[in-house]
Amino acid sequence: MRASPPASPALAYLQLLHLADSALPIGALAHSFGLETLVSRGLLKVSDLENFLRGCVEESGMAEATFCREAFHLASNRGKNFSVERWRHRNASLSAMKPARETRSGSAALGRNFLMAVSALGDFPVIRSALEDANQPSNHQHPRVIEHSPAFGLVGGALEFGEESVVVAYLHQSVASLVSACQRLLPLGQTAATQILWNLKPSIIETAKRSLAAHLDDVCCFNPLLDWGAMEHPALGTRLFIS
Amino acid sequence: MGHAFSSADSMLILDETTKQTHSATHAATRINASLNLNFEYDAATGTAVLKASSQEPPLKVVRAFIVEDGSVLVHVHNVSGGLLGGDQLAMSLEIGESAHVQVTTTGATRIYRSRADADPATQRIDVRVAQNACLEYLPDPLIPFAGSRFTQRTTIHLDAGAGLFWWEVLAPGREARGELFAYDAVEMKTDIFALGSPIAIERVRVEPRLYPVASPARLGKYRYWATFYICRVGPEPGEWLALEQHLRDVARELSPAADALWGISTLPAHGIICRCLAVCGRDALAGLHKLWRAAKFTLYGTEAIPPRKVN
Repeated sequence: MRASPPASPALAYLQLLHLADSALPIGALAHSFGLETLVSRGLLKVSDLENFLRGCVEESGMAEATFCREAFHLASNRGKNFSVERWRHRNASLSAMKPARETRSGSAALGRNFLMAVSALGDFPVIRSALEDANQPSNHQHPRVIEHSPAFGLVGGALEFGEESVVVAYLHQSVASLVSACQRLLPLGQTAATQILWNLKPSIIETAKRSLAAHLDDVCCFNPLLDWGAMEHPALGTRLFIS
Repeated sequence: MGHAFSSADSMLILDETTKQTHSATHAATRINASLNLNFEYDAATGTAVLKASSQEPPLKVVRAFIVEDGSVLVHVHNVSGGLLGGDQLAMSLEIGESAHVQVTTTGATRIYRSRADADPATQRIDVRVAQNACLEYLPDPLIPFAGSRFTQRTTIHLDAGAGLFWWEVLAPGREARGELFAYDAVEMKTDIFALGSPIAIERVRVEPRLYPVASPARLGKYRYWATFYICRVGPEPGEWLALEQHLRDVARELSPAADALWGISTLPAHGIICRCLAVCGRDALAGLHKLWRAAKFTLYGTEAIPPRKVN
């Protein structure tokens, strides 16, 4: 059965809340994207956390938000703008922007899992096309990947959610996942974690606004310490997280 | 294997609006100069040769030197001493089939303070490394002075069997003057394609006044930032994972973490990226040389020969 876009704003709002919930079973809680290394090497402490996460939102958050928005446009207009070649190219480009292989594979796992989870909720032609393309045989040196932020944007466009809501929801859920990882890595209590996430909301909104004016070629990201943590995560002896 | 993406579809192509803006500002540029170098393999001598070049001041290559391993070395010299706001420099390197080439600089690339109304200093680098050729690009650090603005755009295409050792080091400024992160903006965009597919896309913009560099998500207490791409088109993913581990072992023997951090990771295919964050530039450069030596020996079975320099 082909699923219809939400008939009412209230339903769209609830569906977006649902898909942006960290409890969605796509594996987001298994990744720290380098935080585990930073904590284990003493380079990230609770006192630095809010500032650290703000820097992540401003840099990698900005890049992901721009790709999320671009994918939203690909799927919007009932999929009339969708081009599987462009979709594939955007994902390959975003993957190549990530220096750490665990970050690449983590994001690719989340992206694919996310599309599969949504495709189980109904038949959305654009999402089906994206998954079918990813499942095509490809050169093992250049596998077809589905990155998480474009996947989120694609779903938002396919389900005809509001563009700004989709971008801020993506950023918010990614920051919430990092805060959750920090609760398992650092002596960070519920109240402090909630406060940090609360305080970061203006930065999330500001970053989403900046991404509105960004061209894909303008997307930049300077998070060298986080990148270092992700690149060296495979070398940790004991690990709680996949990345 | 065919090219996976056409240039028309590339996100790297500037849109029409950008092109118009560039042409409008073109007349106001200070220097617009290019350096084009074409290298070929000479089967008669068993060495690479600088077959053709075109040079416009301030960029200059005096001559090519034969290195004992059969590669050829050139020093790129900016005779004006550095880049000023509005300068537009372009360099093109064509490395012909089976040629092995080293390119270095005669000294650090200095980016001078830009006038408030000037465009950023820009440098465009286009590289093609043909089948079974190899390029070692080993420049001195980039030093952005206080108030400077700099944009660099690098595009590298690797054909089958092509190799690449490419590093860049970004200094915080003129440290001896106590000038740290006083520049306005440094933007570095690098794209590396293997057989037409992107294997590394780097997009970095550092604006210390807008976004604090000392943030724990950016450089923290470190001041130097270096990137080293090690590529060869062909080896299987398992071989790159083994090299990643080997280089990580080498990196462990480098400076203590308090002085420098080294990150090693495979690229999506055909290569490895090494990243360094260092308090002192000499730690970054020393480590880059050690990683280069280890990777060159693993990938080519030969010693890395540091470029001859006066300094």
